[in-house]
Amino acid sequence: MCMEASRSPVSPVCRNAVPPYGHLIVHERWRGSALVGGFKGGVKAMFEEQLGPVDVQFSSAASLLYVSESDLVAGNGYKRKLVKFRNSKAGLQGIVVVEKTLLSSQYFPAVQKFVVFQLGLTLLPVSGQTEASRLITQLAHEMSKETRQNPFVRKSTLRLSDPLVLALMLKIPGVGRAKALTLVQSFPSIHQLSHASVQELRPIVGLTTAQNIRAFFTQS
Amino acid sequence: TVSGQPLPVSVLVDSRCVAGGPELVSLLRLRHGMRVQVCSLNSCHFIVSNRMAVERQPQSEVASSLNRKRLADRVQGLQGLFDRVCLIIEKDRIKPGDASRPFQQSRYYDSTLALLLQAGVRLLFSDGPEETAALLAELAHLEQRKGQAVSVPTEVTGYQQQSLHFYLTLPCVSYVTALNMCHGFRSLGHLVDSSLEALMSGACVSRRRAEEIFRCLHYPCDVNMLPDAAACRKHSP
Repeated sequence: MCMEASRSPVSPVCRNAVPPYGHLIVHERWRGSALVGGFKGGVKAMFEEQLGPVDVQFSSAASLLYVSESDLVAGNGYKRKLVKFRNSKAGLQGIVVVEKTLLSSQYFPAVQKFVVFQLGLTLLPVSGQTEASRLITQLAHEMSKETRQNPFVRKSTLRLSDPLVLALMLKIPGVGRAKALTLVQSFPSIHQLSHASVQELRPIVGLTTAQNIRAFFTQS
Repeated sequence: TVSGQPLPVSVLVDSRCVAGGPELVSLLRLRHGMRVQVCSLNSCHFIVSNRMAVERQPQSEVASSLNRKRLADRVQGLQGLFDRVCLIIEKDRIKPGDASRPFQQSRYYDSTLALLLQAGVRLLFSDGPEETAALLAELAHLEQRKGQAVSVPTEVTGYQQQSLHFYLTLPCVSYVTALNMCHGFRSLGHLVDSSLEALMSGACVSRRRAEEIFRCLHYPCDVNMLPDAAACRKHSP
């Protein structure tokens, strides 16, 4: 992959370019390649020369750079390209796809270290352009969906705090379910319970447990 | 890090993880000079800082459709407890005698990766325990440079053990947060009386988490909202 083509800085138009629905903006250099040939399921490529170091633009928020086996074997030149890529998309999600083959796998740990730990980008290994093509299709597909459909995203469910307070009281030595349920009626919060004196607790749970509760909150 | 030699960094390792592959712990200790504490973390495989959990999964598990629900539950649980969640996808070990089959990235695997990325999970790839250990060490050092390293003793004794179990019951309190709480406050009463700011600095948590903990400690429990409210009425005088 040659970098000579990207001598001009990224034009502002392309940097903020948002591809139309179902489309990805792909750098002109990939026209006719297996990377684009494998796009499936309604994902289409639009070619553009002015993408700078970016190979594929998913949206205004995500772009991708492809590092091939030969880039890795050729030496450290790819690092300059990676830095350029990182700098060109300030604040956006940058995905670096790296060809990990029998030949290039020995370079992989070093590349991963550089991309993830030094540049703070995301790295995904592929075996070649065909595999990358399928991966890009899936990335485009999932990015177009709503986040709440994502099974890995934590749903903010409103949980009742009442059982939680009871569970916390049950962690006090000597306090079982029955005692906890009685305690909660006089000292409904953990904060209130922590301030209860032995005298106040004694009629409710007996002397030993009253002392246990006091000790539980004050021992250091 | 005055002499250029970084201080030993602590990593908490789940005990179940050790049973599965003890060589990882040795690698972390001997090759990377980490201080490794094995404890029962349950929720995750590794804790490398006050805010980062690391999960280690074989590639075949990530690629399997049968496991997505389990992986999703686990990742969601981690997101509730930690600000940063990392997943190390490790190449499957080849049993001696088995022919090495190259891993074929299925559409399902690709979509799992895409979903994990969208969910904000950091992905790392490893060829085996040696690389996994190196990645864990790298993550822990990176977090140390950002001032997030696990800095409290990782052992608790006596009374602190009881407090630890209490803290672990609080919402969004991870094992490392509970440890920080054990060491950052004189007593449980001291923590319960703390302001939001004191909670944030003593437990090394974000404001959002401190708020949730604070709210829970001050929340007045209504017996009628408990599932066993009927049983409760029986006990009331």
